[in-house]
Amino acid sequence: MGKKAQKEAIDSQKPKIDKQRKKIENLRVKNIEETLSRIKEAEEAEVESSEESPFDSDSEDDETVSESGAEHSQGSEDEEDVHSDEGDNPRTTGSDDDDRGNGDDASDDDNNDAEGKLDESEDTREIVEESDSSEDEVVPRNTIGDVPLEWYKDEEHIGYDLSGKKIKKKERQSKLDSFLASADDSKNWRKIYDEYNDEEVELTKEETKLVSRLLNGKAPHADFDPYAPYVDWFAWDGAKHPISNAPEPKRRFIPSKWESKKVAQFVRAIRKGLIKFDDKPKEEPRVYALWDDDSTADRQGLAYIPAPKPKLPGHDESYNPSPEYIPTQEEVNSYQLMFEEDRPKFIPKQFKSLRGVPAYEKSVQETFDRCLDLYLCPRVRKKRINIDPESLKPKLPNRKDLKPYPTTRYLEYKGHKGPVTSISTEPTGEWIASGSKDGTVRIWEVETGRCLRIWDLGDAIDEVAWNPLPALSILAVAVGQDVFLLNTRLGNDEEQEKIEELLHFQPQKITDDNDIGASIVDWCQYDKHGGIRLKHFKAVTKVEWHRKGDYLSTLAPSGESRSVLIHQLSKKLTQRIPFRTKGIPVSTAFHPTRSIFFTATKKNVRVYDLLKQKLVKKLDAGVREISSIAIHPSGDNAIVGSKDGKLCWFDMDLSSRPYKVLRCHSKDITGVAYHRSYPLFASCSDDCTAYVFHGMVYSDLNQNPLIVPLEILRGHASADGRGVLDCKFHPKQPWLFTAGADSLIKLYCH
Amino acid sequence: MDNDGGGSESSRQVQVRFVTKLNPPYKAPPSSISIPANFARFGLSALLNNLLQAGNADWEAEPFDFLIDGELVRMSLEEFLLAKGISTEKILQIEYIKAIVPKREEEPCSHDDWVSSVDGSKDGYILTGCYDGFGRIWRTGGICTHLLDGHSGPVTSVCILKPKADNVGDQIVATASKDKALRLWKFVLEDSIDQPKKVRAFKILRGHTGAVQSMAAEPSGEMVCSGSWDCTVNLWNIDAQVEDNMVSLKKRRKNTEDEELQSEGEALSTLVGHTQCVSSVIWPQHETIYSASWDHSIRRWDVETGEENLRMSCGKVINCLDIGGESSTLIAAGGSDPILRIWDPRKPGTLSPIFQFSSHNSWITSCKWHKKSWFHLVSASYDGKVMLWDLRTAWPLAVIDSHKDKVFCADWWKNDAVVSGGADSKLRISSGISVQ
Repeated sequence: MGKKAQKEAIDSQKPKIDKQRKKIENLRVKNIEETLSRIKEAEEAEVESSEESPFDSDSEDDETVSESGAEHSQGSEDEEDVHSDEGDNPRTTGSDDDDRGNGDDASDDDNNDAEGKLDESEDTREIVEESDSSEDEVVPRNTIGDVPLEWYKDEEHIGYDLSGKKIKKKERQSKLDSFLASADDSKNWRKIYDEYNDEEVELTKEETKLVSRLLNGKAPHADFDPYAPYVDWFAWDGAKHPISNAPEPKRRFIPSKWESKKVAQFVRAIRKGLIKFDDKPKEEPRVYALWDDDSTADRQGLAYIPAPKPKLPGHDESYNPSPEYIPTQEEVNSYQLMFEEDRPKFIPKQFKSLRGVPAYEKSVQETFDRCLDLYLCPRVRKKRINIDPESLKPKLPNRKDLKPYPTTRYLEYKGHKGPVTSISTEPTGEWIASGSKDGTVRIWEVETGRCLRIWDLGDAIDEVAWNPLPALSILAVAVGQDVFLLNTRLGNDEEQEKIEELLHFQPQKITDDNDIGASIVDWCQYDKHGGIRLKHFKAVTKVEWHRKGDYLSTLAPSGESRSVLIHQLSKKLTQRIPFRTKGIPVSTAFHPTRSIFFTATKKNVRVYDLLKQKLVKKLDAGVREISSIAIHPSGDNAIVGSKDGKLCWFDMDLSSRPYKVLRCHSKDITGVAYHRSYPLFASCSDDCTAYVFHGMVYSDLNQNPLIVPLEILRGHASADGRGVLDCKFHPKQPWLFTAGADSLIKLYCH
Repeated sequence: MDNDGGGSESSRQVQVRFVTKLNPPYKAPPSSISIPANFARFGLSALLNNLLQAGNADWEAEPFDFLIDGELVRMSLEEFLLAKGISTEKILQIEYIKAIVPKREEEPCSHDDWVSSVDGSKDGYILTGCYDGFGRIWRTGGICTHLLDGHSGPVTSVCILKPKADNVGDQIVATASKDKALRLWKFVLEDSIDQPKKVRAFKILRGHTGAVQSMAAEPSGEMVCSGSWDCTVNLWNIDAQVEDNMVSLKKRRKNTEDEELQSEGEALSTLVGHTQCVSSVIWPQHETIYSASWDHSIRRWDVETGEENLRMSCGKVINCLDIGGESSTLIAAGGSDPILRIWDPRKPGTLSPIFQFSSHNSWITSCKWHKKSWFHLVSASYDGKVMLWDLRTAWPLAVIDSHKDKVFCADWWKNDAVVSGGADSKLRISSGISVQ
């Protein structure tokens, strides 16, 4: 575009603008003339009014010309009224109604006296409020009515006044004079020429404001509140009678006739086919963006996952790639040495023209692979609940707060030649006894790890058990079919005498007690090491002392009805437990405080009351095969270890099902143990570990036991697939002894 | 890291002045010298030897240890000053002392069984207790002069009593054993014997119902106390010339003709309070006995009233206890963990240890303060190591690992040697330790 064209356009507009200017100037000159003439008239009027009503003070600048005019016209009428009032009462313009109304109301007048002069605007407002139309306010002098003023254009007068006299047109000022006058007068912008009355009106401030409000589209009066709270003068509620008492008209109940007619018309039109519905789907554009990013536009289901795009061909797939894409022969050869998965699937080649490109031999294969990919890869959104896995963990106290518990191995008791099958602690905690598959029973000093005494019993030891009374340091040892009661010779002389006496056996007694027990077990003196030998008819696997140290129970699993026997040391008596046991018992235990006896078979644990001689409870562990059992020192809780590595805690007051099952070991649990005084329990397993748990039992029956895993104790080596074979707590310290298949005993301390 | 620091900071110098309390041949010139800040103990020692050699031509090099503000320097000077926040602007006062290292390993004394206890409080001989039930008196060079024969169980504790003023030649020793009895022995030191002389006990103290675990003698040598597995501490009078015992004395003579005079004594009083085995007792002053037990407590007893007046709990089984250090009030104890703890019972309010030494790997079986020094300790552990400690540093001064197995006992001997016995049946003597 050239500037010329613009210029031309501007040039062409120029004469127009000039014309307009001239017009405006003409108008202005005309206006000036008018205003000048008006001013003159106003001056004349003022002179008249000042003569007629001396009360109209000159100071009222704001008084409009029209008002003063009105005053002038009314002056003569109101004169009497005015004079009849107090002489110094200042008159306000256009307050005729007021004056008349107030003639008999002196107090209102007094108010006016006080305020009227001070606040002009208030007065005018009152006028506005009380007069309905502007006609009341200014009596029109011209009485021609609403006729086109053109009719009087050529006349001398502009109309007639009330008395029918002609109103003369005012003398016109020259346009120059009026312009000059308007230029000099600062109030000129407020002046308007009233053609009807042939006069110039000067607007007051209030009026200009009113005009500006109208122009702004607001309510004309400043005090009008468009958002005033609605007062429902005609509120229905509370009224006694309805506005209309007429009965409901019938038309309210019948369907509209005209509606039905219209519907019938549409129906007819549709039947005739005059109205057609556009039921054809809009045609979609046939083209689409081939390599567009996403095609979810048409499938917007939330679960929809678009198929992964195949890789786009790059430069190297071009028929004529740049030479740097083409591998050398060496590179191609080296591809052959690579693994098939790593080998590049496509080797770029150069062709002279697109015509020379052969058919792609792998196209079918690749299409098939792609289809397979799409078909076999399940593009399903996995539903995953947004849960913090940490929050699912049970709230357990910190391990540090549960100290002391065994953590570190400090001592080893070396000496056994075979797997140590069983250990037992002396009640004071000074000694520990162990039995091994090498056929020896050893007593060790706990503090130093020194082997104090060795008994060679010739056969693999199944169990050793130290008498729970500190004064009776007798060791019960289960070897094959025998149970030996050995004197450890650790007590002082008095105790030794007592032990000697206890372990002395007179054979003739047995003939007196011709009981069933006698036939089961053969008591006899064991001379080799000094002690008593109890010959059983089946292999004994377990020996346990009663807490009072006089009774001991032996367990021969294959003994059927006579598998569990209870021997009394002081009387050298043997008796069967007076209950029928179902299944093969694997372990037994005495209740630590009451005369209750626990027998664990492979599936469940039976609790018998020895005094009442009846079954109290049956605990169902729900594990594959129970291997060991231990009773909490308070007697109401028990732990059961199983051969599938599960550890079950029974709260016998709570249920016959396990309160908690701990799957901690990967192999058979071989032993479980409670600590006598600390809230600790432990389990050992063939996976060469021992676990230490915090097991707090509260005296408050409402509070369940607190079980916290504390420590995994490692250190034993596996031998023949066996790991740790037994574990026992130190009777007074929070220490754990473990006996391993690697023929070692280890002590873990806090 | 270290090399980098040395390379860039090699120019850094520290003004030091060496001071010492040692005697003149060890006195270094008092002038201050400037030394590189990356010197550690070894460098300082070499420097000081050079200084001394400059003043004294026939000086033989000797290792020294260095103290800054009462703390032994165990890292480079730079790091040490940084760690302690000591300004390098001023002249640094470095006090040097002779380094505490065992110089010689004496001939070990072979026992027939594990050595359970040792006492080296007499310069002339060493008393050991053994698991074969014998006590032995050893002289320098691994010569056993006396065999204390009589216990039927392993000897667990031995102690040498202060000889009577009127009878200096007779040495009185006491042994405690797992056979629940204590025995007192009297012998005369002889210079050269080919065969160890067998000694019979002149007094047997019976009264414990459990194995006696530890024993200590009153400083004047008139009484002994013993801690046992029966949870009690018994006090015994050892005066042999008490009329009451004559009856039993006669009896014994009838039974066995060849036996020497043997009297039996009964416990004078019993201190009851511990709930588990009393593993260690110490009698440092006439009126107070300290005892440590497996019930995790250390108690102080008033001998006159037999009441305990201090109880400290440590949370672990305590195996050994000794009183010493600053004005003989600090309590050192080791137990079923590898930490040697030292308490100051004078410190009000707290019962937490003021020092913890944790270089051992296993239970600590023995700890002894040096008789003369306020700072030096020896400790033995099941990890086979005997360590020398100085309170002024957290690292051991020296580690003696000549033992092949657990060490059960250790003691100072002649103030410049450490004797220790263990499960390798040897009594090892490391001498030449110059503790001031």
